[in-house]
Amino acid sequence: MFLPDIPEAAVWAIYFAPLASFLLIVGFLWRRPLEAGRLTIFAIGLSWVLALWALDTSIGLDGEPAAFEPHAWFTLFDLDISFGIRLDGLSAVMLFVVTSVSLLVQVYSTGYMHGDTGYSRYFAFMSLFTMSMLGLVMASSLLQLFIHWELVGLTSYLLIGFWFHRPSAAAAAKKAFIVTRFGDFGFLVAVVLIWVKTGGVFDIAEINELAAGLSAALLTGFTLGILSGAVGKSAQFPLHFWLPDAMEGPTPVSSLVHSATMVAAGVYLLARFFPAIEAAPGGVHTTIAYIGGFTAIFAASMGIVMTDIKRVLAYSTISQLGYMVMAIGLGGYVAAIFHLFTHAFFKSLLFQGSGSVNHATGTFDMRLMGGLRHSMPITFWTFVVGSLSLAGIFPLAGFWSKDEVLLDAWHEDKILFAVGVAVAFMTALYMFRAIFMTFFGEYRGGEPAESHGDAEAHDEHHAGPHESPASMWAPLVILSIPAIFIGLVAFLDFGVLIEGAIPEELRHFEGVHVDGVVLVASTVAALGGIGAAAAIYFAGQPSPDVLRQALGPLHRLVERKYYVDEVAEDGAVRGFLYNGAGRAAAAFDRVVVDGVVNGVGMATRTLGDGLRRVQTGQMQAYTSLYLVGVVVAVVVLFAVSGDVLER
Amino acid sequence: MLTLFLLLPLAGAVLALILPKEREQDAKWIALVFSGLAFAVSILVFVRFDPSVEGYQFVDRFEWIRAGDAGFSVQYALGVDGLSAPLVLLLGLLSVVSVLISFGVELRVKEYFAWLLLLETAVAGVFMSLDLIQFFVFWELELLPMYLLISIWGSGRKEYSAMKFLLYTITGSAFMLVGFLVLGLQAGTFDIAQLTANPPDDALVPLAVIFWAIMLAFLVKLPVFPVHTWLPDAHTDAPTAVSVMLAGVLLKMGGYGILRIALPILPEQAQDFRVVLAALAGFSVIYGAVITLRQQDLKRLVAYSSVSHMGYVLLGVSAMGAVGFSGAALQMFTHGTITGLLFVMVGLIYDRTHTREIGEMSGLIHRMPLIGTVMLLAGLASLGLPGMSGFVAELTTFLGTFDAHPAATIAAIFGVVLSAGYILWMVERIFHGPPTERWAHLPDATAWWERTAMGALVLFILAIGIYPALITEAVESGIAPIAAIVEAGA
Repeated sequence: MFLPDIPEAAVWAIYFAPLASFLLIVGFLWRRPLEAGRLTIFAIGLSWVLALWALDTSIGLDGEPAAFEPHAWFTLFDLDISFGIRLDGLSAVMLFVVTSVSLLVQVYSTGYMHGDTGYSRYFAFMSLFTMSMLGLVMASSLLQLFIHWELVGLTSYLLIGFWFHRPSAAAAAKKAFIVTRFGDFGFLVAVVLIWVKTGGVFDIAEINELAAGLSAALLTGFTLGILSGAVGKSAQFPLHFWLPDAMEGPTPVSSLVHSATMVAAGVYLLARFFPAIEAAPGGVHTTIAYIGGFTAIFAASMGIVMTDIKRVLAYSTISQLGYMVMAIGLGGYVAAIFHLFTHAFFKSLLFQGSGSVNHATGTFDMRLMGGLRHSMPITFWTFVVGSLSLAGIFPLAGFWSKDEVLLDAWHEDKILFAVGVAVAFMTALYMFRAIFMTFFGEYRGGEPAESHGDAEAHDEHHAGPHESPASMWAPLVILSIPAIFIGLVAFLDFGVLIEGAIPEELRHFEGVHVDGVVLVASTVAALGGIGAAAAIYFAGQPSPDVLRQALGPLHRLVERKYYVDEVAEDGAVRGFLYNGAGRAAAAFDRVVVDGVVNGVGMATRTLGDGLRRVQTGQMQAYTSLYLVGVVVAVVVLFAVSGDVLER
Repeated sequence: MLTLFLLLPLAGAVLALILPKEREQDAKWIALVFSGLAFAVSILVFVRFDPSVEGYQFVDRFEWIRAGDAGFSVQYALGVDGLSAPLVLLLGLLSVVSVLISFGVELRVKEYFAWLLLLETAVAGVFMSLDLIQFFVFWELELLPMYLLISIWGSGRKEYSAMKFLLYTITGSAFMLVGFLVLGLQAGTFDIAQLTANPPDDALVPLAVIFWAIMLAFLVKLPVFPVHTWLPDAHTDAPTAVSVMLAGVLLKMGGYGILRIALPILPEQAQDFRVVLAALAGFSVIYGAVITLRQQDLKRLVAYSSVSHMGYVLLGVSAMGAVGFSGAALQMFTHGTITGLLFVMVGLIYDRTHTREIGEMSGLIHRMPLIGTVMLLAGLASLGLPGMSGFVAELTTFLGTFDAHPAATIAAIFGVVLSAGYILWMVERIFHGPPTERWAHLPDATAWWERTAMGALVLFILAIGIYPALITEAVESGIAPIAAIVEAGA
């Protein structure tokens, strides 16, 4: 638009800059942490500048894909695997989101991780994550996307388990990887399926073009496989339960990986294959929409009862991702990406706010906080901005995107619309519950024992809570700006840009329009949620304890996360797989398979007793004898066969 | 050149044996020099191998009995093609690694290294033989050093495990020998290339029986359910270097035999039983992985994971097509480097902790960051993480097999979830968690031979994972003729 079109090499540089940072840190800066942090910021800053250029180019093209040729990776018979860049409205926006949030998070990290013994390792992993995420977004080939999909999974594992000396962090990392890999199983089947059935196509655009001509069964299998991957990565029911545990990672990691970028990759994946999904039978759409809708309300309900501020945000993230998935299922492609876009900024802001609070109090437990609005005014106000945006209060960013999602629901499915409005109420409730518990009332002393990571790095706790350093509050302030205003991009042809990535016949975004019913419903719900939170957690009418008593078992059910973790871990994994199938297979192997072998051995030995005198007990002798025997046998057979053949 | 590769380790073995007692430590250096020279030769072979040329290259041939009128010959014939060249390279690499990680061995040093080198010669003979009888002789020759290495330098129930390994293999190879003889006598030649070009269409015994007689030996070696139980025992009780050789190259003899002999010589029979093979493969992958999940012994865990991962080789074979075969060939190479590295790491850990019980270890990474990092890397490669060679092999296998056997392929794909389970669970238990008093004084990998061994394998795993074209060209040239024959047999 303003600049000449970005050359391909410059788009690759967006990807290679953080990779170079990773390699340089591993190779040279392992013991020079400050340089490692600066290099990461510099590299991602470079990516950010280039991503802006790419965005500018894409806007100039109205979001239509730029023409870049793929490059061969390797060929092997029918396998002709190439990687390339897909730069269109969708990926350009994602590149912008990933680099922007990543850049701010790295700056924030220099404060938050200050003094941590693993500082270099932290930035190495962050660089590697950013590279993988950018590779995922710009991939032109399904396989290329899958490879980076797995790599973000790896870096997520490494970052969740960053403080691996804590057993809970190590367990959470493992859980995240395995649960998402469960979803990736379906994804990989889809990758293989589509390649085999289309005669070797991995190119995303080509798959989308071919989709309309594919059989319903094939499309159903493919799209459900894709969905499986998305459900794992974007923490949708029933694979949602890894994400709350992932909060064991450092908070900036949660802010980047587990709110703004990686967990949104599932939604991105669905959007990337939107034409294929649209071509699939209606049942697929309904499945996607209802998984999203159910996840949205299911997770929101848990967000209301959590006492750990990061877990509230984690459930909020799951819930909001549910909105996006629901929108995709309802055909609301633009709404889904629009909400992904705004959510990335205000949710990253909120996570960083929770990290700032933790930095001051040494805990994430809101029951131990309180009254922090006086000591941490910047954190407080930015947190309020983020919460209002998330709650969808006019005219903040979240309002516009959430309204688009609800509008699609209103037109397509009234049940999901009702769910969406209920979620809006619950969202406002849990966010303002968090605000009242954290920032209002009296300070309840914090809890250094629950501190994150290397507690010794935060010895300033003893002086009472105070505002975080500039490296931490500056990103909060900067992120507040998009959290307030970025929804207005909807008036700047955001829809055109995003829709440039899909074929013309699927484009139906008509710009922002406010429907009276939707507007009133969502605003009333949000204000109602804030009001309810104020009544309970500020005024104490009714008091939270009374409510908890009144709800009894229901409260307990929600507080225990509907026992999904127990069902999955104790039931499916420990009960069925480990103690059931595993024990059975191991016993079968030992008793039956090996039993036969040993039995044959015993029988042979008994038979061989008669030949005992030959046995000298020396294996060398046996083996030599055996070899001699073989040679003799061969010679004899040659002689005999020679006769046979001559005859 | 191939004869040189065959004889270098043998020469080293002889030299090591005739060392005077007081200089027995020099056996280590002799072994390193000779296996190193052999590795250099194998690199040269791989690099100078020309994928655009059809047939075997670097052929060394000497006929003991000329073909003449009798119609068959006894010959010494070595050669490599795109299937065997990578395996020769793998053998060269892993032999050096095995020697390096044996530098700590102090029991009967001369003999130990002599047997280790003889093992390399035997396996080299298997990978390079162009004649069935010669193939068989080397196949059997491998047993001798293996048996002794396990039963003398092993641990635990070493005699039982060594004997089990021996009996399993001999049972299989007895059937194989019968199969070879029937085939060879029928065709009037034991030359693999000639048999492949003119496979017999009839014999004294039904060809289907011959097929299974030969396959039995290979399936035992691979190994695959239900003839796999020798493997966990042999691995657990073998010394580290022998585990590396066993997982790294000996198992590949099975897959190699299938692709080199069983399939191209009996393509119609192979086609007939493809579904059986696919079912065995899919079942082995899941069965092996589920049992792996339960293992409490670190070495046994890696051993059972091999049963699961070698199932991918058979799965690729069962596709009866070029891409599937390529997947199997790639999986053999990558499994050799990855599982070889896993066993190296298990050995290094055991050297320090003197236990292999997963439950006894915790927080080791605090004391051994390098070992922990490399072990994690090997584990990630093993669970098929992209960027490492295992992913390329598994993906190729899945792509090549799905059309022929969707159910078995989907089962095998589910195996990657299970492998993530046992690998990460193991990493969590032994490396993560707070540092403990008991393991507070363990040294990291500091010796040069340890670091060289790890580094070499990591290099191969990453290089092929990032740039598979390093090996795919050779594989394609080796698989193409085999696939053409087998596909024509459909």
